[in-house]
Order: sequence, then structure tokens, then C-alpha cells
Amino acid sequence: MGTPPPITNRVRELREQNGGMSQAALGEAIGVTRQTVIAIEQGRYSPSLESAFRIARLFGVGLEDAFGWSED
Amino acid sequence: MSFREKSAWVMAALMTAAGLYYLNLVVGTSRDLGTVAPPIGIFIAYTVLVVIGSIVAQIVLAVSSPAEAQARADERERPILHRAGSRAGVVLGFGTVTALLFFLVHADGNLLFHMVLGSLIVSQIAEYALQIVLLRRSA
Repeated sequence: MGTPPPITNRVRELREQNGGMSQAALGEAIGVTRQTVIAIEQGRYSPSLESAFRIARLFGVGLEDAFGWSED
Repeated sequence: MSFREKSAWVMAALMTAAGLYYLNLVVGTSRDLGTVAPPIGIFIAYTVLVVIGSIVAQIVLAVSSPAEAQARADERERPILHRAGSRAGVVLGFGTVTALLFFLVHADGNLLFHMVLGSLIVSQIAEYALQIVLLRRSA
């Protein structure tokens, strides 16, 4: 298995803060599968810039509030 | 398990079963594959089995998950499907070149047919297996 991408995210936290939106509902809202949302939340997959913007806009936060860069 | 992974499992199982069925029929026809003329009847039976089996399997999967079946591969799945297809192409290419080299040495067209068809079957199984591995690795 490869090294996880150095991009962190608060997607799970943002979902929970927004009425406990389900992973499936988030996936449908941004045009990806539930498995892809799971992969993003677990840090196994870095979303495209478009999907990252869609997630941030959906939760009404800035891109850097939803995603970060891990220096480790 | 995602729809793509379910589909890959079903197709891998189908291709493996159909491949073994074909191999069993060919071996049953003769102990020496290299001396058997390409069995047209068996080849047609194999093709029909794969086509009908694929259609039935995809219909069953689509009925069980209609929403997922209609959705196109997303941004994570697309490169995975592409990578699996690309690597399966290498398997097919390797098998075909090997078959051609055998043909150059042995001048046996029947063996060439069996080896190319075998490479095609193995490459298809490899493609679905790679899809499963790569989908699981990033999910």
C-alpha cells in the first residue's frame, strides 16, 4: 500500500456539524460515490480540486477550513 | 462494497468459470492441445456463455442496486478502471507475443490460437482482479 496523500481534511467533522449528513448524501451532493467519501475522510484519497471546492461550498466554509496540508 | 467492486467480483468469477469450462472442453477433446484444431463449436459455446452470463449478471446487479448501476464511475474510480485495463493489456500483449514466438519456433497455428485465446481470457480475469485490488486499496 502506498503512502497516504499529505492532505488532511475535516469532512467528517463538517458532516457531523451539519445535521449529521450521511456519507451517501454528501457523495450524491458532490457527484461521487459513498466509497469515495469514505476514502476522503480516511485520508486514503485526495479529492480533485473541483470536489474539494464542492465540499467546502456545500458546508459554507473556505477551502482551507475543510482541507489542510500535513507537513509530516 | 461498491457497485464497481461487486461487478468486478461477478465478472471475474464468470470469466474464471467460463475459462475453466473452455479449458476443460478443449483438454477433454485431446490430451495434446497443440495438435487440436481450434474447436469452433466449443469456442462458440464459450462466447455465448460469456455474453449471456455477463448480461444476466449485470441485470441482476442493476436490479439489486438501480441507483448505483446508473451512476457513472466517479473521479476516484475512473483512473482505477483505466489503470486496470492498461495493465491487463500488458498481460494480453505478453501472452500474444509469447504465442507468436511459439509459432515461429513450432509453426503450429492451432497452438497459436489456443495461446492467444488463453491470453485474452487471462487478461480479462487480471483486469477484474486488478480493479478489485485497486478499488479496495483506495477505499
